[in-house]
Amino acid sequence: MNLTIPFDPAIRILILAAVVFNVVLILTYVERKVLGHIQQRLGPMRTGFHGILQAPADAVKLMFKEDLTPNSADRLVYQLAPFLVFVPIFMMFITIPLTATLVVQNLDLGLFYLVALSSLHIVGLLMAGWGSDNKYALLGGVRSAAQLISYELPLAFAVMGVVLLTGTLNLTTIVHNQALVPLVVLQPLGFVIFLIASLAEMGRTPFDIPMAESEVVGGPWVEYSGMRWAIFFLGEYASLFASCALMVVLYLGGWMVPFAGGLDPITGTIIGAAWFLLKTMLLVFFVFWLRGTLPRLRIDQLMAFAWKMLIPFSFLNLILTAWALVYGDELPSLLPFIHPAGSWLIVAGSVATVLFAYAVHRQTRRSA
Amino acid sequence: MIGVLKGLVQTWKTHWRPRVTVQYPDERLPLQPRYMGFPGLMWDAEHDEPFCTGCQVCMRHCPTQCMTVTMMDNPKFADDTSKRRKIIDYFSINQSRCIACSICVEVCNFEAIEMTHIFEKANYYPDVVVDLPDLLQMSADHRAHKDTMPSRETRDQL
Repeated sequence: MNLTIPFDPAIRILILAAVVFNVVLILTYVERKVLGHIQQRLGPMRTGFHGILQAPADAVKLMFKEDLTPNSADRLVYQLAPFLVFVPIFMMFITIPLTATLVVQNLDLGLFYLVALSSLHIVGLLMAGWGSDNKYALLGGVRSAAQLISYELPLAFAVMGVVLLTGTLNLTTIVHNQALVPLVVLQPLGFVIFLIASLAEMGRTPFDIPMAESEVVGGPWVEYSGMRWAIFFLGEYASLFASCALMVVLYLGGWMVPFAGGLDPITGTIIGAAWFLLKTMLLVFFVFWLRGTLPRLRIDQLMAFAWKMLIPFSFLNLILTAWALVYGDELPSLLPFIHPAGSWLIVAGSVATVLFAYAVHRQTRRSA
Repeated sequence: MIGVLKGLVQTWKTHWRPRVTVQYPDERLPLQPRYMGFPGLMWDAEHDEPFCTGCQVCMRHCPTQCMTVTMMDNPKFADDTSKRRKIIDYFSINQSRCIACSICVEVCNFEAIEMTHIFEKANYYPDVVVDLPDLLQMSADHRAHKDTMPSRETRDQL
């Protein structure tokens, strides 16, 4: 696809930065409102209409707070860490396409780039944990490293199914491949694994062990204040939005509006972007909803879940996908009106998903 | 797994339930009639003087020793407009120490002190020691909402 945004890349990145900051502000407000309503409260109400200015107010407050560095901290490591967390997450947005034309830089190896970047901010978290010279920070940093590296694998293997099906790593082409049917239909197990693993990657409940407020009082963030803390916060919510957007791109059909062919480019772009954002916000709401529902896992449950459940089942998903692609066409179709390979993918994927749910059920029952 | 789904359904339902909290400074929950805020001194309208005679029994019984009470001869007793020989001279309560336990009210021989509904004493420059005029004013403010208070007149009915 050739790009039609009439700016050079530097300006596009500036626009992207503004968009990301505003998205983070909106997400924090939405999260507090959703959690409030789940707990039969109202959430923020005092700044502006229904507290709508709460997020900017908090941002301004954080900007004016003192930027403390503990005496015993490793200064360079400590002060560098927030940026090393935020920058890779921000870089993820560069190749995520809102629509075919609304993308900062469409990369041919976009998915590879994203998977590579999504594990990079572990370094920042470890540096924060180490540099703070605080036992809780160190514990949190080590926990986050263990967790993020473990969940990186199922994430990458789940994505592999999409790559096999579409035959490309280019995110725009992946979405164009979903014009007829979103990939979640063909890759139900892959979607579920990707969802769970990216929950862990975002550090959201029930996998918020690194930041567990009630155990390690904020993990690597303990000693941070003011703007550096705000940058961590920005990174967390930006990664939440990036992961949800990625889920929409890979599995939920991106900006492909059903039954809306033949629109002129500008209307199509607007409707497509709105449709994309709607789906992303629904996923974001789901994440907040989970946060209001589930308690935190124990660290051993977390690791067991990654290595004993997610990774074997992501292998299974990959093998099933490859098998259906190679041998599916030689077999009779299982479902009416559907290509044989597709029908085998749908059936096998659904069976595997049910199997996965049952395995999770048994696992959680035993470890409860 | 089933538990997770049940939990999600539960929180989804709760999400649409009406709120149970109150936007505090704008709206308040009603206080119970016997709610105990800070103590205040009552005014005897009949003789136009406080009920308190300064007998110091509250001061001696106060578990946190937050009170200072002194007594004086009642000038109105001399010109025969009051039956009280002694009257309160100086009365102060350190509200940062008061625990609103109501023991002073229980021990008062003249039913001169009462628990008001006043509890919002936060201030940028808190004057924690409250003296006689303020204590009388607190009680007077409190008695303006007479429907919900256990005053001298209504205490026996409660």
